[in-house]
Formats: sequence, structure tokens, C-alpha cells
Amino acid sequence: MTTETAVWGVGTSLFGKQPQLSAPELTWVAVLEAIDDAGLAGASAIDAVYAGTVFGDPGVAQRALQSIGVTSVPIITIENACASGTTAFHEARLAVESGRYERVLALGIETMTAVFDGAIAPIRSDAEGAQGFAMPSIYGMSATRYVHEFGVTSEQMALVSVKNHRHAVGNPRAQHSRTVTVEQVLASRMIADPLTLYQCCSIADAAAAAIIGPRRSPSHPRDVPIRSSALRSGKLWDQRSSKVWGWDIVAETAALAYEQAGIGPSDVDVFEVHDAFTIGEIVTTEALGLCELGGGGRLVESGHTSIGGPQPVNPSGGLLSRGHPLGATGLAQIAEIVWQLRGEAGARQVDDARVGVVETMGGGAAGVDGNGCVVAVLGRS
Amino acid sequence: MSDRLTLEPPELGPADPRPRLTLVDGVVLASGSRCAACGHAIAVVPPRCPVCGGDTMEGTSFGPGATVFTATILRIPVPGREPPYGLAYIDLDDGPRILVHVIDSASDDDGDGDGVAVLPLRPGGRVHLAGWTEHGDPAVRPSPADREDAP
Ligand SMILES: [Zn+2]
Repeated sequence: MTTETAVWGVGTSLFGKQPQLSAPELTWVAVLEAIDDAGLAGASAIDAVYAGTVFGDPGVAQRALQSIGVTSVPIITIENACASGTTAFHEARLAVESGRYERVLALGIETMTAVFDGAIAPIRSDAEGAQGFAMPSIYGMSATRYVHEFGVTSEQMALVSVKNHRHAVGNPRAQHSRTVTVEQVLASRMIADPLTLYQCCSIADAAAAAIIGPRRSPSHPRDVPIRSSALRSGKLWDQRSSKVWGWDIVAETAALAYEQAGIGPSDVDVFEVHDAFTIGEIVTTEALGLCELGGGGRLVESGHTSIGGPQPVNPSGGLLSRGHPLGATGLAQIAEIVWQLRGEAGARQVDDARVGVVETMGGGAAGVDGNGCVVAVLGRS
Repeated sequence: MSDRLTLEPPELGPADPRPRLTLVDGVVLASGSRCAACGHAIAVVPPRCPVCGGDTMEGTSFGPGATVFTATILRIPVPGREPPYGLAYIDLDDGPRILVHVIDSASDDDGDGDGVAVLPLRPGGRVHLAGWTEHGDPAVRPSPADREDAP
């Protein structure tokens, strides 16, 4: 018999370029908020920590946690590209479910302004990175393919940015809290054809945290049950692959998570998904089953994924507007869904949100369909 | 500035992960291997086939012809490189999918490598391996009928 698990509490720092704050300072804000939100007596109640970071220095989690008293317990640091934070969440949930630990801190930390002046520099030890293949390239290529194959328009892609910026206006923690128009998005400078600047996420510094434990009682006012979570790495992405990079890994991971939770995509009230680039949200909404292959452009255009529509996607503003501090992103998504399901999301609250899904995927192409993808289903049955 | 094309093989270190090209009788080919059991083609020579596990990966070469899966033009600065430059995933004929740089040297009027247009490539278009960029990347040129400005 496995233990039913729940998110007890969540917390985050603000999102954005915050070079004046160290990784520990960002972490203290997120973790202490999560501890208080969970109703824990203090940091000493935590049994174990799973920390996600991509560019964090070795030992970053231990150094960030020691000054607030999270010491002596196992601290395990995970790198899984943009899915690092959600991988930490997934492992924390499994540790509680299996009875290994009782109260686990899932943590994401990233201070990107300490590492990069501009965009993320390509990794020179992979075949793509060594060719100067910066991250926007793979998404520009997905967009090129979608324009060619499905007739997705520049306006449809821009609408993802317009929607997520609009959502972020209701999020006081967001990096970019201002509205933009389709015209402004398309007139911003070209980054990787056909994607323009406002269709690409910025670098950011932040930390985000969740406390996971056994479900305390069916009526506990703070607990948000974890219905399922799934983690996969990509299969080979090569000449046999007809889909754009990352489509299959999201679809396959989502299928696992939906099956474990006993739901389908139509049962989900709110989504937080990986929209590092506008085309990414279009591809991901298809792979998550919100619409058919090739229908993602029309989906955003229809308003289906806006707050007020049937299935809002990225009410927080998403990676594009809340911000994308890589290792912290997954826990920021979890925090948003927890707030949404508790009815605590303020101006961006999705009405009657009972079931929420988080999806994060990441990695360069380099021959596989993504380094990792996590899909989690939260909410009451 | 976009990439310049060269037919001078670069000296790539042993750990350089980029696809290897060879020049055979003036034709540029990509090196790799094919599984004797299942036929899977790949741009490296692994000890076992990643698809079927077969342990007979026969070294071979692919190209020069290929079909564009998708492409982009990257316009942001990358350390050691000068944007913009064209990038494409190409499926080599009966061979692997590899990442390459795109060079349209046909637009270089005086052949000095300056003023080379960065060319948008359409998925499904035909290209051929043409050599290396000055950075040692594998490079393709669009086949004449597939140039953007082709009639
Ligand atoms: Zn084989």
C-alpha cells in the first residue's frame, strides 16, 4: 500500500533579473514561505531535500539551506534541464509515497544573471552546441516546421505571448507584468526566424519550493493532493521522427500521468506548461491532448487557453512572462497550480479550478527528443 | 555576416562532437555507420546499434544529397561567432538527420565570402553537403531549384 501524497505548502521568491540577490537569499524567501504555508513548526521538520538547478554551483543547495537550519538531512541535487525543478518534485513525491521520508522539501534554485550576460551559451560538448546552436534555434526550427506543415501563422504564435503577458499582469511576482499587442510582438527584433524577441523568455533569477508529505486528511484545508507525476527522458530524435523536437516526449509523459491519475485532458481545469518560446506552448498544448496535432495555433486563437476560457494555460504568465529561472521553473509552476486549486490566485484566479496539470520539458536536441519531461496532476478527485 | 564556406578540411580535436565530413573525389560526404542488422543509419560509429542492439555497425558515408527537415536563422550573439547564420536539420539521403550550417555562396558576387546572404530554407527543400564553415561546422548549400529566388 502506497501513501497518498499532497503538497502541504509552497513558496517562491520574486522572478526576474535580480543580480543583487544571492542564491541563498532567494532560497530563504521561497523555503520559509513554503514552511509557513505548510504549517510546519520550522525547518527542522524537513526530513529530506530534492533540489533542482541547472547552472547552480556544486553545493548550492546545501549552502543556501544551512543558514535557515535545513542541515543534517539528505540533500540531493538534480540537473534535468528545464525540468530540473519538476524532477525534484517528482522524486520528492515518490520518496513520500514509498514511505522513505515524511516531509520533503522540493526546491528549485537558479541565478542566471551570475552566469550569463545575455542568452544561455550553447554547450560545446554536444554536436549541436558545438555548432553555435543557441536555445532559440531549436524553437525557431519548430516554428518553421509548423508554418510549413500546419499553416500556423505568425499572429497565432504572437497570441501566445500576448495571452501570457496579459495573464502575468495579475501576478505580482512576475518578471514581465505588462500587456503587449500582436503588432508589438511581431515588430520586436527577430531572434531565430520566425521567432521575435517577445516570443522568447528572458533569463531570470529565482527560487521556488514545495513541501510534500502524506495527505493529512481528506478535509485538510491546505493540502493539495498529488494525483500523479511522471518523468521520462527523450527517445532518439532522428530521421525517423516526423514530429518536431519535444512533441513525443510530452505526449508520452502526459499519457503516463493521465493514466495514473485516472483522468483525460478534458478533465483538467488549468495548466502550467513549458512555454519558453511561443511555439513551445502551441506544440505542448497539442501534445497534452488539448487539441489535435497541428491545432495548437487555432487553439490559442480561439481563446480556449485564456483565463476566462474553458482550459486556461499559464495563468501565472508562464515562462514567457512570469519568468524562466531554469531550475526554479518547475516548482514555480507547482506553486501556481497549488494557489489556483486553493482559490488563492488573486486577480488571475481560474474559476472553479479543481484539477491542475504541470508540464515541464527541456534539453537541447542533440539526437534525443528532450533530456527530460515531467507531467504532474494535482487536485481532489 | 554569415558563415564563409571552405573546402579545406578543419582540424577537429578528438573530442569535437560535430558530424564529420570527408572530401572524396571533390564530393563532400558525411561519415557515420549503418547497422548490419536493422539498417539504422547514424552519424557516429557506436559499438552497438541504439535501435536494435546489434553489434555490427558498419562504417560508411552519406550524402551529399539531403532533404531539409526544418531550418532557422539565428540572429543572437553566440560566443566566438558572428550572427546571423543559417542552421538546418537535414535528413541525408538514406542516412541520418544531422544539424548543419546553411551557406548560400551563390549570392556571393565576388567570391570573397563577404556579402553572403543568409538564406531561409523551406522544409522539404533539397540541399547538398558543400564543405565547412570557417569554424569547422558541416555546411550545406541549397540545390539550385530550391533557392528562395528560384523561378
Ligand atoms: Zn540496428
